[in-house]
Amino acid sequence: MTADAGETPTGTADASMAVDLTAAPEAAAADVTRELLAQSLGQYLRAWWLRVRSGNSGVLPVVLAIVLVAVSFEVVTPEHAFLRPSNIVYIFGLSAVYMVLAMAETVVLLIGEIDLSVGAVALFGGVIAFKLVQQPGPAWPWWAAILAALACCGLIGALQGTLTARLKIPSFVVSLGGFLLFSGILVVVLGGANGNVTVSSSAPNQRVIYDMVQGLIVPVVGWVALAVVVGAAGTALWLRAAARRRQGLVAPPVSLTAIRIALVALVGVAVVMICTVNRGTALVTVEGVPWVIPIVLVVLGAWTLLLQRTRFGRYVYAIGGNPEAARRAGVSLAAIRTWAFALCSATAGLGGILLGSFFYGQYSTNTADPGQLVLYSVAAAVIGGVSLFGGRGKAVHGVLGGLLIGGIAYGVSLLNLGTLATPLEYIVPGGVLLAAVLVDVLSRRGTGSVTRV
Amino acid sequence: MSDIPVTADPGETPTGTADARTVVDLTAAPEVAAVDVPPELLAQSLGQYLRAWWLRVRSGDSGVLPVVLGIVVVAVSFQIANPKFLSPLNLVNLFEQSTVYMVLAMAEIFALLLGEIDLSVGLVMAISAAVVAKLVQPNGLNWPWWAAIIVALLACAAVGAIQGSLVARLKMPSFIVTLGGLLILEGVGIIVLGGSLVSIGNSRFTNEVMLYDIFYGQFDPVVGWILLAVLIGAAGTGLWLRDARRRRHGLETPPRSLTAMKIVLMTVAGIAVVAICNVNRAHFGTIEGVPYIIPIVLVVLAAWTVLLQRTRFGRYVYAIGGNPEAARRAGVSLPAVRTWGFVLAALTAGIAGVLFASWQVSLTTNIIKTANSYVLLAVAAAVIGGTSLFGGRGKTIHGVLGGLVIGGIYNGLYLLNVSSELIDIVVAAVLLAAATVDVLSRRGAPRQA
Repeated sequence: MTADAGETPTGTADASMAVDLTAAPEAAAADVTRELLAQSLGQYLRAWWLRVRSGNSGVLPVVLAIVLVAVSFEVVTPEHAFLRPSNIVYIFGLSAVYMVLAMAETVVLLIGEIDLSVGAVALFGGVIAFKLVQQPGPAWPWWAAILAALACCGLIGALQGTLTARLKIPSFVVSLGGFLLFSGILVVVLGGANGNVTVSSSAPNQRVIYDMVQGLIVPVVGWVALAVVVGAAGTALWLRAAARRRQGLVAPPVSLTAIRIALVALVGVAVVMICTVNRGTALVTVEGVPWVIPIVLVVLGAWTLLLQRTRFGRYVYAIGGNPEAARRAGVSLAAIRTWAFALCSATAGLGGILLGSFFYGQYSTNTADPGQLVLYSVAAAVIGGVSLFGGRGKAVHGVLGGLLIGGIAYGVSLLNLGTLATPLEYIVPGGVLLAAVLVDVLSRRGTGSVTRV
Repeated sequence: MSDIPVTADPGETPTGTADARTVVDLTAAPEVAAVDVPPELLAQSLGQYLRAWWLRVRSGDSGVLPVVLGIVVVAVSFQIANPKFLSPLNLVNLFEQSTVYMVLAMAEIFALLLGEIDLSVGLVMAISAAVVAKLVQPNGLNWPWWAAIIVALLACAAVGAIQGSLVARLKMPSFIVTLGGLLILEGVGIIVLGGSLVSIGNSRFTNEVMLYDIFYGQFDPVVGWILLAVLIGAAGTGLWLRDARRRRHGLETPPRSLTAMKIVLMTVAGIAVVAICNVNRAHFGTIEGVPYIIPIVLVVLAAWTVLLQRTRFGRYVYAIGGNPEAARRAGVSLPAVRTWGFVLAALTAGIAGVLFASWQVSLTTNIIKTANSYVLLAVAAAVIGGTSLFGGRGKTIHGVLGGLVIGGIYNGLYLLNVSSELIDIVVAAVLLAAATVDVLSRRGAPRQA
């Protein structure tokens, strides 16, 4: 029941990810994590290492796991094919779905609830968007179709959130019912067990949706965009740190800001380089950054801003850390919880649209198993570092966890395991989920904030 | 959200509040009852008893009343929609189909009573079915049918022990452990079944016939009546003698007229079931008699009712479900009881798996998806039956009654040619409605945290 200092919504700054540099100053004044007080890089690294050793390891485990998975699959796959550019880009596309779904799940996990319906709601949202751009049919413009699908999903989330927040029905039961309900409605909307819906790359309006995962940015544009993004993010980071320093607020050491900007630039250059390698055949050129990468980055940016820099975000962390304390501080639990579920479902809807695009614009009842999608997204969030017990986690954890899950899923499928291939598709993520939860539980135990008897 | 209730409410303690409508539930543990007596136990006449019962129902603790009303509503509405619904042939089908839901719901109740949930019961059921069918294959291992069943049940219990230990000792949330477990078991199930079809439908092999007959075999009509007479005689005498003994010792006892009514009700229900089952329901030839699975379900029901209502273990389960901290301070070993709860849940799911294998006859990897979807039916059946999602409230009989409702809805909608996805939608709505009723009725009770 004790609020742990490391758990408060100060958005404990994280050494390895640039987007996380978002300690809310007013909270930090009351309760400052050691890294924030560090004056030099050495001090900072020592403080960070202390925090890692105390159990609050942030993104370190998942980054190590990604490296480990990449290296081991590269070693064991036939012809060492895992890290070929074509495979890496394919993994980005596959993982993008898990990343977005994991970010959706993250906000619900942060308030200490769970949403088991994200898979079914995602597929439902995807099918709605696909249906609305059909020609002949509603023939809505692509943006209206996407907005309508997200609004539908948001409404579903609001309903489930209301049942959880106001009627106090446990969220896993509500969302389990929602899972069954929307798995069924999905089939009805698709038009029966053999129904399907397709967006074509030849119709201009539908092509936008088709291209969300399949479309590629021309290499030159990719480089220019990277330069702009890194330039803007770097300048913003640098100016913010400088402004804080000028006003006498706690600010990270100059060298740390520089290292972060360098890291962002390095990762960006690596991604664009891999994506701009020609991965086609001698006859067809396939090169460029897939559209899905900036799309995921935008979602990540939006979620990070919302969770780390707004009042809503602070309330989410407050409820997740200690609902009773949040209630006594005047936070409307019911409203925040309902919103969290609504935003989760809306984000899931976007994941569903990406999923359909990933499968070359085709949606059928066999496209994806909603139950498996949920498991992958919960697993991705928890592996990424989001706690199942609420109050701990960030949007970026969902992205990293999604990349890990996507990498594992694709790596296993590369292994030519014959009859073992299908079972391992289930066993590996199940095992990974349990391992991630175990780590979560054990690391929470150190902090004294497990409230269960 | 771990809303640990701070106050222990007397109404929630494991007194096993006696229930007027179900005979097997007449099992208020006397030593606890002395401390904290529900008004029904103090009633001296039938009138007093009914008044006390009505008061309890109105205060939110309605026991099996809603589900019995639910069964009536389901029966009447489907009979109006399709006159075949209440025909003997369909009723026996419905009983048979419901038995799997019933046993699975009884499995889930162990987890729910502890305030946990087990999302893997459906897949444990599938594993059990796969193991049983695989072991008796004549061109494979060719085990005797009973050995196959025992091994399958042991395997399921082992799965439950592992999951239970993760929940109870490492304090991992049960829904996530069983979600991960479900995923792993899905893979294991595919490995066990392999790519080919595994069938137990060959009448040349005794082992396959024995398994097949669990679901499709039936007693000779005369044997059915004799069994009924023996059962009613034994249960009635048992009830009557127990009440008489309690009265002699000056303990709280229900009025004589109530005991008599219970015995009569039991007899009427038994005669109705046997009479329906003994009608010849074949289009050609003769198919008549009580299916074996009806007594099988009754045995499971009786065993788990005795375990939960009459043993120390059962009282500990209710104590932990009602208030884990209070139970811990009273000296109950939470990890041990919780682990055993998950073992029993998985074991019972294993029993459901044997029935499921017998029902399906031919097993392919497709059954894994089917079985997985049964988790929701199991939770829904238990909650519809009157078991609380929040722990500490519910009985085994609730699983049986809830399973009958679920079976009735499935069967009735199927008769009306409703597509399977629409049936799923209806079941989801029923689950949400039952959960809402559970929450709202808890709200009336003083211990809502």
